[in-house]
Amino acid sequence: MSTDTAFELQLQNITKVYPGVVALDDVSLRISAGEVVGLIGENGAGKSTLMKVLGGVIAPSSGSITISGETYEALSVQQSFDHGIAFVHQELNLFDNLSVAANMLLGREIRSGFLGLVDEAAMARAAQPILDRIGARFSPSAQVSELSIAEQQMLEIAKALSMDSRLVILDEPTSSLTLSETNRLLKIIADLKAHGVAVLFISHRLSEVEQCADRVVVLRDGRDVGHLSRDEINYDAMIRLMIGRTLASRPPEEKRAAEPVVALQVEDLRTHAYPAGSASLAVRSGEIMGLAGLVGAGRTELARAIFGIDGVHGGTIRIAGRTLSGHNPQEAIAAGLCLVPEDRKGQGLILDFSVGSNICLADLQAVSRNGFVDRRREAARAAEQRDRLKIKVESLDRAAAELSGGNQQKVALGKWLALDPRVIIFDEPTRGIDVGSKAEIYGLMRVLTNRGCAILMISSDMEEVISVSDRIAVMCRGRVAGVLEPPDFSEENVLTLAIG
Amino acid sequence: MKLAKAVGLVLAASVLGSSAAAQEKPALAFIVNAASDFWKLAEAGVRDAQAELPGYELQFRYPAQGTAALQNALMDDLLAAGTDAIMISSVDPKTSVDAFNRIAAEIPLFTTDSDAPDSNRIAYLGSSNTAAGIQAGEIAVKALPEGGKCMGFVGFLGADNAVERIAGFRQAVEGSGIELVDVRGDDVDFARARSNVDDVLAANPEIDCMVGFYSYNPPKIYEALQAAGKLGEITVIAFDEDPITLGAVREGSFAGTVVQDPYQWGYQGMKLMARYLEGDKSIIPEDGLMIVPTKVIDKNNVDSFEAELKKRING
Amino acid sequence: MQKKDLGLLVLIFVVGTVVASINPRFLSPINIANTANLVGLFGLFSIAEAFVIVTAGIELSVGSVIALLGVIFVDFVVNLGMPWPLALLITLLLGVAIGALHGFLVTRMRMQPFVVTLCGLLVYRGIARFYTADATAGFTFGASFPSLEWVFSGRSYGVPHSIVAFGIVAVIAWVVLHRTVFGRHLFAVGKNEEAARFSGIRTARVTTIAYIICAVLTALSAVFFAMYTRSISPASHGSFYELYGIAAAVLGGFSLRGGEGSVVGVVLGVILLQMLQNLVNLLGIPSSLNFAVMGAVILIGVLADQQFARYRERQRQAQSLKRATTDGEPVPRPGETPAR
Repeated sequence: MSTDTAFELQLQNITKVYPGVVALDDVSLRISAGEVVGLIGENGAGKSTLMKVLGGVIAPSSGSITISGETYEALSVQQSFDHGIAFVHQELNLFDNLSVAANMLLGREIRSGFLGLVDEAAMARAAQPILDRIGARFSPSAQVSELSIAEQQMLEIAKALSMDSRLVILDEPTSSLTLSETNRLLKIIADLKAHGVAVLFISHRLSEVEQCADRVVVLRDGRDVGHLSRDEINYDAMIRLMIGRTLASRPPEEKRAAEPVVALQVEDLRTHAYPAGSASLAVRSGEIMGLAGLVGAGRTELARAIFGIDGVHGGTIRIAGRTLSGHNPQEAIAAGLCLVPEDRKGQGLILDFSVGSNICLADLQAVSRNGFVDRRREAARAAEQRDRLKIKVESLDRAAAELSGGNQQKVALGKWLALDPRVIIFDEPTRGIDVGSKAEIYGLMRVLTNRGCAILMISSDMEEVISVSDRIAVMCRGRVAGVLEPPDFSEENVLTLAIG
Repeated sequence: MKLAKAVGLVLAASVLGSSAAAQEKPALAFIVNAASDFWKLAEAGVRDAQAELPGYELQFRYPAQGTAALQNALMDDLLAAGTDAIMISSVDPKTSVDAFNRIAAEIPLFTTDSDAPDSNRIAYLGSSNTAAGIQAGEIAVKALPEGGKCMGFVGFLGADNAVERIAGFRQAVEGSGIELVDVRGDDVDFARARSNVDDVLAANPEIDCMVGFYSYNPPKIYEALQAAGKLGEITVIAFDEDPITLGAVREGSFAGTVVQDPYQWGYQGMKLMARYLEGDKSIIPEDGLMIVPTKVIDKNNVDSFEAELKKRING
Repeated sequence: MQKKDLGLLVLIFVVGTVVASINPRFLSPINIANTANLVGLFGLFSIAEAFVIVTAGIELSVGSVIALLGVIFVDFVVNLGMPWPLALLITLLLGVAIGALHGFLVTRMRMQPFVVTLCGLLVYRGIARFYTADATAGFTFGASFPSLEWVFSGRSYGVPHSIVAFGIVAVIAWVVLHRTVFGRHLFAVGKNEEAARFSGIRTARVTTIAYIICAVLTALSAVFFAMYTRSISPASHGSFYELYGIAAAVLGGFSLRGGEGSVVGVVLGVILLQMLQNLVNLLGIPSSLNFAVMGAVILIGVLADQQFARYRERQRQAQSLKRATTDGEPVPRPGETPAR
C-alpha cells in the first residue's frame, strides 16, 4: 500500500443481488482518513453484505469501488488486505488452541535462529504494546481458550490494530463487552482517529454510535436511506431512519397478582465454574427478573446448571415446588423450565434444519402418534408459532441459517412456547439483534409474563436490564450479590453489586 | 554399515543362541504363510517328526497376518530367540530375498510351499506347482475328450503358486481342444469367490469346465453349481483336499482334485533340517529342489486318501 | 426422493445400459438374481453403517463382527447342534451387546467412535481367529439344514431371500429414519449434538441406540453371509466390508459430519457398488482393477453431485439477477440477506 497518499474509500452505486433478495441496492459510501463513520441498520439491512464487498469476499453485481485513487469493479481478499482494510467481526475468528500473540500475528509469525523456528518470546514482546494500547489486561502468551468472550473481542481489535491498518471496520464490537470495556473501546476509536486511521463502526447500540461517529450512514432493506452529519446525529433521528417509524415505548404493564407465587427457586446452588460460591434466587410468576453481572460472574453457568446441562455440585432447584436434580434437561423441561441459550447458532438452533423442524424439535411427541411424526401436525404447529412470533420467513422449509439474528432468536424461543413453560431463562436474548427485533422480543417476554410465566433474563446490556426487568439480580463470582427493586434501578447500583 | 550390522547380529545371535543352546535342545521352526486348514496337516507332520527327534525342539508358527513384513519380523524374532534352523512358506518370496539372505547368513534357511531360488536358502522342499498344474490339466484332458472351454478361479492372480499352476494347466491341455479362457481372482474373499462363479454361470454359458486353483475355490464352485442346479453338467477340476472337495469327488460331481502333501513337508522338512544341522549335507540335491510329488485324487482313491488324512490329523 | 438420489438413479441406469449393450447377459434373470443377492447381503450392513454415520459417528468393526458372529453362528449350528432359530437369537443378542458396548464407550466414556470401533475391528477379528484356532468354520460336505438354508440362502420365485430381507429392513429403516421422532432426533444429534441437548433430547441414548441398531443389523448380515459362503475363514472373512458400507452410505448422500443422508440414497449406493463388481466380471475387466473402478466411481459420483449443486446455486443467482435488473416488478425483499 502507498502511505504517502491520503486514504480514501469510495463505494459508488453498489448493488448485490441474491436469489430472491436484493441485498444491496445502489449504495454509495465515502470514508477518508481520520474519519469515524457509523453504519447502522436493522439486521438484514445489508450491512454484512457491504462488509463482504469491502473484504473482497463477494463481488458486487454492479457498481464500483475506489480506494486511494484506484478503481475496482470488485476487490479480491488480497487487494482489500493490501489497502490496509482490517475487520473486527461480530463472530470471533480466533484459534482457541493458540496463544494470544500467535493469533495476533497469524501468518506473520516472527521466526528466529537458523532453523527459522517460531520465536514465541519475540512474538509476545511484539504483541504486548498493542495490548497495552487498548488496555487489555491479559498476557500475550495466554491461551485464547482461557480468555472470556469480552477478552477475545479485545484480542480481535488488537489483531486489527497490529496490521497497521488504514481502515478498521468494527462489526458489533461491543455486543459482548461490559460498560467499562465499551468505554475503553470508544477511547481506542478516538485514538485511531487521531492517528489518521479511518473507522467504520457498525453497532446496534445507538448511544455508542452517537458518542463516536462523525457521520452516520443508515441502511434499510439494502438501500441507503439517509446520511446524518455530526450535528444531526441523535437517537430518535437514527431510529426513524432505521425502522422508518418511531419506536413504540415500553408496552403498558398490567397489574400483577397481589400475592406473587415463586415459580423458580434456587438455593445455594454450586456450579462447576464456582464450586465454592453458592447462588440463591427466586423468580416469581409474572415477572421478568434481570440477571446482571460482569462477564465471567457465572451467570451462564448458573443457567446451564439450573437447566441440567452441566450437573451441579450442590444446592437445590425447585420449579413450582418440584425439586430438580439438576442433572438432565428432560427433567427440567418436564417441570416447565426452558432455556433460550446465549449461543443461538451452536446451542439454540440446528442451523441446517428447516425453521419448521427447529420449532418442533423440543417437543416432537406433541406432533407425533406412536412415535411417528405427523408432518401435517408438525407444519401446523410450526405455522402457529411463526404467526404468533411474527417470524419473517418465506417458507418454513427454509434452513434456520438463512434467517436474520432476530428471527433466529424467535425460532429458538418458538420451540419452547408450545410447551407452555412456567419458567423461561433467556441468556443474552438480544445479543446481535437489531433494534426492531429487540422491541418485538421484549414485547413477547411481556406477553409471556402477563400469562403467568416467570422469566430470568441474563443480559450484559445495562440499558436492557434496567428498562426491561421488574427486578434485577446481580451476580458476582458465582454468588447472587443482591436483588434490586425498581426504585433502586440504576447503572451505579448494578455496578456496585457486580464488582462486589 | 552393513558389516557392522551383520557383526552385531552375529554377536547378538551367538550370545542368545549359545545361552539358549547351552541349556536347551536345538530349536527348529516351521513358519507358514497364513492361518488355514491346509497347514493343520503340516502341523501333524511336525508333530510326528517330533516323536522321532527327541533331541530337538520343533516349533510350528503362524504369523499374526499373512504379510511378508510380519513373516520377516517373525523370523527375526526367532533368530534372536536362538532358533537353529528355519523352514518357511513365504507369502511373497520375490520381495523377501534380502530378508531371507539376512537370515540365511546366520542359520540354515529352507523354503517350502513357495520357493525363493534367488536367495541363499539351502533348499526348497515341497510341491512343484507346475507339476500340479500339469496333473490338473491331465484330469481335464481325460474328462473332456471332446475339448472344452474352462474358467479358472483363484485367490491372488499374481502369486507364484497361482501363476505356476495356471501355466502347468495350460501346458497340459495344449492341443487337446481344451482352452482355459480366463482366470478370476478374489483376493481370498470367500463371498467374492462365490459371486465370481455365479457371475460366470450367468454371463458365460459356453463355459463347460471350471478349475478351482486355491483350496477354497472348489467348494465355492460346488455351492454355486448346486444353487444353479448344474452339478454334473460342468466338469470341475479341483486343487487341495477341502472336505467339500473330497465329498464332491466321491459323489462324482468333480472330475478330480490334485492334492499336495503338506504332511510330508512338515515331517520331512523337520528331519531334513535336523540332519543338515548334524552335518549331513549330502542329502541336498544339486539344484536344491526336493519335490514332494502331488497326487491326483479321483473317485477311485478318494476313500483311502480321506482315511489317511483323518489318521494323520488325529495323530 | 431427493434430487441427490435421482442423480444416483440416473447413474445406475446409465451404467446398466452401457453394460447391457456390451454384454446382454447382464439383464439375464440369473445374473439379476445373483446381483440382487449380493445387493441384499451388502445392503444389510450398509444400512447398519448409515445409522451410525448419521450421528456423525463411524463403525469400523463391521467386517470383524461379520467374521466373529459368523463363526459363532456356524459353530452353534454345526458343532453344537443347536436349533438354528436359537442360534440366530443368540447371534442377534450378541449384536445388541456389541452395539451397546460401543454406544457406552462413545457416549458415556466420551471416546471417539473412530477409536472405539477401530479397536473393535482388531479385537473381534482376533477373537474370531482364536475361537476357531485359525481354522475355517463351515458346513461339512452334504450337511443339510433345509429350513435354515431356505430362509437365508433360498429363493422364492427366483428372488433371493437376502434381497427380500434387505428390502424389508430398508423400508423399516426409511420409516424409522425419516418418519419417526427417534429418526428426527438422530438427525438432530448428528447435525448439532449441543443444540439437540439444549432441546431436551437424550443425546446419549439416541446415539447408543444407533450403535445397537447398527450392530444388530450387522449380526443379521453376518448370518446371511455365513449361509452364503458356507465356510468362514476367520482371518479374511468380511475384511474391508466396513469400507463397502461407508462407501455406499457416502455415495448415497450421507455426510461423515453427520445429520445428512437418506435410506433411498444408501440403497441406490449399494446397488451401484454391486453393479460395478458385477460389470468387472461381465466385461472381463481384470479383477485386480476392481477396487480402482469402485473408488473412481465413488469419487466421480460425489464430485459430480457437489459440482451440480453449485451449478444450480449459480443458476438461481443469475436468474434472480436477471429478474431484478430487466423487468421492473419488485423483487421479494424478505427482511434479511441470506446468511453465508
